[in-house]
Amino acid sequence: MFKYVKHLNYPVNIRKKDLKMAKYLLTQFGGANGELGAAMRYFSQKFSMPDEKGKALLNDIATEELGHCEMICSMVHQLVKDATVEEMEANGLGSMFTEHGKGVYPSDSFGNPFTVTYFAVTGDVLADISEDMAAEEKARAIYENLINMTTDEDVIGVLLFLRQREVVHFNRFKELYDYYKKKGY
Amino acid sequence: MLFDTTDFNYEISLFQIPGSDFSLEQRVDRFYSPEEGFLRGNMIRDEFDSYKKYTYFKLKPETEKEQMLFQLMAYSFAINDLNLFLDMHPEDRSVYDLFKQYVNDKNELESMYVKRFGPMTVTETNGANYNWISNPWPWDKMGGSKYV
Repeated sequence: MFKYVKHLNYPVNIRKKDLKMAKYLLTQFGGANGELGAAMRYFSQKFSMPDEKGKALLNDIATEELGHCEMICSMVHQLVKDATVEEMEANGLGSMFTEHGKGVYPSDSFGNPFTVTYFAVTGDVLADISEDMAAEEKARAIYENLINMTTDEDVIGVLLFLRQREVVHFNRFKELYDYYKKKGY
Repeated sequence: MLFDTTDFNYEISLFQIPGSDFSLEQRVDRFYSPEEGFLRGNMIRDEFDSYKKYTYFKLKPETEKEQMLFQLMAYSFAINDLNLFLDMHPEDRSVYDLFKQYVNDKNELESMYVKRFGPMTVTETNGANYNWISNPWPWDKMGGSKYV
């Protein structure tokens, strides 16, 4: 079961409109290495974890990733909110406006819609957890690319927080991988 | 400058929780305080991995509401990160004790916040009017009254 808490995981307050950055950031919602894929990956994989540690860790990180989806979407929403249609078109968001208005649709920065083929569920503990470790490293790399795409400190501050969460999640998954490896899985 | 490698000035000691001690001595040395961990994105000191010139973003609460909210968010964050650590290390008594302390602190902070500014969860909606639906929602951009 899930309960909603009426605050973000970390504050998002973007004061300056930046449509190009909104387009780039969207990939961390619905792109191959984004938060939605992360949340669904761990959520789906938790059902085949063999003991308490794996069940708890995948469940709890999946839950946190849903909160990160909300942070990314909040950033995109705030960056786009005050834009005119003309501005959106001039900044490469014309097609996105046509399809989705100012709604936040899970897609990558090219506009490709989210797909579950971005992640795997093998039922094999070591295969799934090593994918999770790679996913965290890939998300970290994308956050670094995004940090390099902007000078807006309102955006960078949030991206630094999210990047550091990837580092922590990698460490936990690595511990879980080593633990299962040692147990002979 | 918003990013600084040495300085930490996130002052949120305005609200002292009755019967609770925020002193550093009570913390396990290998962890940041909830306030600092929240800004950095991790509680375990050894796990902080800086990127380029950046360390963390200093939040500047502009109202009492924001200050209380940030403090509440910091404790929620600390609980979440210790939660993940304890999933893998449930036998670590000192971290579990710290976790329980932060849960108590967070509950106190939340009940103070909710009394003044409205519900954080739907079951905390108990005022004269049904104010769960009240704006702003967390993703709203509200000019001066940002966040929540």
